[in-house]
Amino acid sequence: MKTIKREKSDLKLAMVLLFPSIFLVLLLVAYPMISNIQISFFDQPINQRLSATFVGIENYISILSDGAFFQSLGITLLYMILAVLGSTTLGLGVAIFFNRPFKFRKLSRSLIILSYVTPSISLVFAWKYMFNNGYGVVNYLVVDVFNLADKAPLWFDNPVSSFILVVIFAIWRYFPYAFISFLAILQTIDTSTYEAAEIDGASAWEKFKIVTLPAIMPVLITVITLRSIWLFYMFTDVFLLTNKVDILGIYLYKTAFAFNDLGKAASISVILFIILSLVIIATRKRVKY
Amino acid sequence: MAMARSKKNQVIKTIGFYTGLIGLLTISLFPFFIMLMTSFKSTEEAVSTSPTFFPKEWTFKHFIDIFNPDIFPFLSYFKNSLVVAITAAGLAIFIGIFGAYALSRLKFMGRTTINASFYTVYMFSGILLVVPLFKIISGLGLYDTKTALIITMIVQTLPTAIFMLKSYFDTIPEDLEEAASIDGLNRIQIIFKIIIPLSLSGIISVFVYSFMVAWNDYLFASIFLSDSLNFTLPIGLNTLFSTPDYVWGRMMAASLITALPVVIMYSISDYFIKGGATEGGVKG
Repeated sequence: MKTIKREKSDLKLAMVLLFPSIFLVLLLVAYPMISNIQISFFDQPINQRLSATFVGIENYISILSDGAFFQSLGITLLYMILAVLGSTTLGLGVAIFFNRPFKFRKLSRSLIILSYVTPSISLVFAWKYMFNNGYGVVNYLVVDVFNLADKAPLWFDNPVSSFILVVIFAIWRYFPYAFISFLAILQTIDTSTYEAAEIDGASAWEKFKIVTLPAIMPVLITVITLRSIWLFYMFTDVFLLTNKVDILGIYLYKTAFAFNDLGKAASISVILFIILSLVIIATRKRVKY
Repeated sequence: MAMARSKKNQVIKTIGFYTGLIGLLTISLFPFFIMLMTSFKSTEEAVSTSPTFFPKEWTFKHFIDIFNPDIFPFLSYFKNSLVVAITAAGLAIFIGIFGAYALSRLKFMGRTTINASFYTVYMFSGILLVVPLFKIISGLGLYDTKTALIITMIVQTLPTAIFMLKSYFDTIPEDLEEAASIDGLNRIQIIFKIIIPLSLSGIISVFVYSFMVAWNDYLFASIFLSDSLNFTLPIGLNTLFSTPDYVWGRMMAASLITALPVVIMYSISDYFIKGGATEGGVKG
């Protein structure tokens, strides 16, 4: 009886306290998501005063019969896989490397995190400058100093080199995220477990497989899932770096704000939303915040 | 003999370790180094086809230029970014504290569902919502206002803020609250007098996170803002980059100063997060 009463009074207070958060999220996330579905069935002019025309599933048909969409989907998946693999592996490697006491550890850790916390715009300027075809330091180092190539790649001028560039950028920028996550969990592993494995004659790889991997598994799954989702709809980094790599985020943005086709862009959002929901439902139980 | 060898191995290992560390830091910091050095180079040297690592002649001209409103609207962009980021982060925290407290302490039906939906929102937001948000913002007459950006940024960061705050609140012992309620404090007083002071380090890190998201945003600024008087740094700087008369040294100086607030705040929050805010709280 007493607990029921308490739950009731708690509910009232909880609703008061949660109201602003729920209201904002409903207004600016839930409602837009539903509104997205609605817009996707209309030919929606960007000028709000002009009225929208109902076109049924025409937007979906035009997207799903457009080769550009599937090409963009393919590029996005490849970008996502390479960047997630690269940044997670590198982040884990660096975390293991850091999982020992040494001088300047805290300082080094903070310096490594810099690329993750700095605004994209600052980083992108530096990268554009470094990879410039005429006076960039990267081509100078690759061609003139280390003679790794005869001719400098024109980084921003063709889709392949631009793609390589955005993947390297993503790995460089996001490995610190994996690094901090892994470092935190590695520090909770009792060192005596390693010592025990060592006495049993385990090699470094065996120690990793038997002790480290099971311990970091929950974090590993979380890092991979979250990073995959975020890279799947990446926009800013790639948009600011190059106009040669049309990942889905950019394809959507261009459809909406360069070609002013809001209806078609909304239907792209809905398709992405469905793909992402399936991924989230599939991984949800295994992902911890 | 054996001891001498193991000592030698130790030295080799140490040298190997620090070599690796230096290599790693070089890769991590190289673009920052280039940014810094270029900001001190003359315009001619910055576009020389045999690039230099250090400026032949150091110049502070670019830093002086970006603070001159007649040459570069950097200060106005900076101010806009600051207003948007501080307001959004402040409000996200203010709203988030109450929500997080409810989810952490109160028992009520639907708690798990609300929790789960916030978590889902955390994964989703962003590019998927640009079309309807653009429509809503225009519909509300907020197009080309900082308010539009502030509201959007609050929602972008709120679910994460609630999650982070909730996990901080969860670590505060409930005994403290019971003691306080015996002393006659109500829930709201408990939030202000016990929960907030005890989770200050968490609140600071949530503020830094929200500030960073708002400060770094390019996407929403680019669709909501059209008058350059309202531009925040990311969109303002990118617009300047697309003009034919950009100057590398100036852009690098601007990039550095753009990065500065986030880096400073991050370092401060890193210093604060050593845990243990609640240690000793139950004693006495």
